[in-house]
Amino acid sequence: MTFLERTTDARRFRQWEGNVEADYIYTSGVAGERFFVALRDDGKMLASRCTACGLDYLPPRLFCEDCFLELTEFVDVPPEGRVAAVTMAHLDRRGTPLSRPQVWALVTFEGIRGGLVHRLLVPPAKARVGLAVRAKLKARGDRVGAITDIEGFEPVRS
Amino acid sequence: MRKVGVIGAGMTLFRRRLQETGKEMCFEATKMALDSAGLTRADIDMVVNGTAPDAFDGVHMKGEYLLDGCGGYRKPYTRVFTGGGTGVFSSIAGWWHVASGLADAVLVVNEEKMSSCQPHPQSVFAHIWDPILDRPLRPNLVWIFAMEMNRYMHVHGVKKEDIARVAVKNKRNAVGHPCAQLADPKITVDDVLNSEVMAWPVQRLDISPPSDGASAIVLASEDFIRRRKIKDRAWMSGVGWCIDSTMWTDRDLYFPEYVARAAQTAYKRAKISDPRREIDFAEPYDPFDYKELHHLEGLLLAKKGEAPILTREGVTERDGDLPVCPSGGLMGVGNPIAATMGQKIGELFWQLTNQAGKRQIPHEVHTGVAQAWGDLMPLWW
Repeated sequence: MTFLERTTDARRFRQWEGNVEADYIYTSGVAGERFFVALRDDGKMLASRCTACGLDYLPPRLFCEDCFLELTEFVDVPPEGRVAAVTMAHLDRRGTPLSRPQVWALVTFEGIRGGLVHRLLVPPAKARVGLAVRAKLKARGDRVGAITDIEGFEPVRS
Repeated sequence: MRKVGVIGAGMTLFRRRLQETGKEMCFEATKMALDSAGLTRADIDMVVNGTAPDAFDGVHMKGEYLLDGCGGYRKPYTRVFTGGGTGVFSSIAGWWHVASGLADAVLVVNEEKMSSCQPHPQSVFAHIWDPILDRPLRPNLVWIFAMEMNRYMHVHGVKKEDIARVAVKNKRNAVGHPCAQLADPKITVDDVLNSEVMAWPVQRLDISPPSDGASAIVLASEDFIRRRKIKDRAWMSGVGWCIDSTMWTDRDLYFPEYVARAAQTAYKRAKISDPRREIDFAEPYDPFDYKELHHLEGLLLAKKGEAPILTREGVTERDGDLPVCPSGGLMGVGNPIAATMGQKIGELFWQLTNQAGKRQIPHEVHTGVAQAWGDLMPLWW
């Protein structure tokens, strides 16, 4: 059977309501624990080093995805990174226009495999690939050991 | 089709909650399996992942999420899922990768992190029901099993204490398992009979726990095994899988016809005509104690209604004539859905290659059968 009337309001039809409720508590894992504790207590980011492949992983991992070595050595991520890609979000997840666009970036660091996706703390007109940035952290007392301890990335030279 | 052997196995601890992420658990099991086979990730052609619906870990597209921990980076990689049957079915998927000639060496990695789901994974299981016919009644999954158990007891006149013996046997067998979550050397039939009633006749100690855990195996072709001079291998001589009507109300609950059909397929492929005589031990799926009995009958290793009698007579003990769940099973080792491959396929490998340690069956064994439900089973020797 095909509906001949066109409507986008499903509630106008005979319907059953349901809700798949699901709540979660996640563990940050072995490598994640190191990363978040260092971020909270020391205000720095750690990468895990694969001595066999000569790679430093950010975010740190327990293992090298290539050679499958267990990684136990952690190194500091350089404080200065670069914007590898940007986007300006104009709509929220429901499709409603945002009062002003949000700027998001992929930030990478020299010699580091991977990177972080986070807010870029510049006006949209100034968001560009290649911008030198550093993490802006919350004050130590406000940090809880979460990715949101980083408020975003801001230009090294304003 | 080409001959396929299992050449390595590994598994993590099974616990109610592990610190490791799903990826990290997969890595630990995979690394162990590769080490036991004497291989590295570079030797692997393809990777199969088995894991339950995303709602348990709370990560959508969790097959892709787990990929790096499974050794799947830059390899052909597939996730399979067939309910609890994934505990065995993912190894069937691995088998066809090798048997078909597409791959020489394949990793199969199964994972579950059920502790993420709050307050209990049961809250996710509640949504497997039909949203219009069943869910308005707010059913609980245990009800299905309680009714199936009741039907099985009713048809054959099975006593509750004979079912409880399975829980006692498996939790005691698990004492020898380094990964076990619920091993108990002192448990008695009375302990099971006196435990909390969840949904009669299912009591607390009739049921396996939710767990975090991962397991992995390595499969390889006969050529590969010969070329690499690999000594420890267990051949997968037959596999079968089958599903019944998806309306569980349309089955006669006392006998798992789907298991029997899967078993017949596997036995035929393995040229086994008298399974009770030709099979030395079994790892049937035991998420509930009565399920081991139900599945033994489905596997045609006991006549209908005979499995409780064999259990009472000690036939299914580790030193009996037909050891059943020498690993400790799901009842003793734990039940991280797909990762129960460790007690099923892993245990067959360890027993058949004489690496089961304290769990080793004291007499010589050559042929075993493993089965998981979601209605599936493979057979090995």
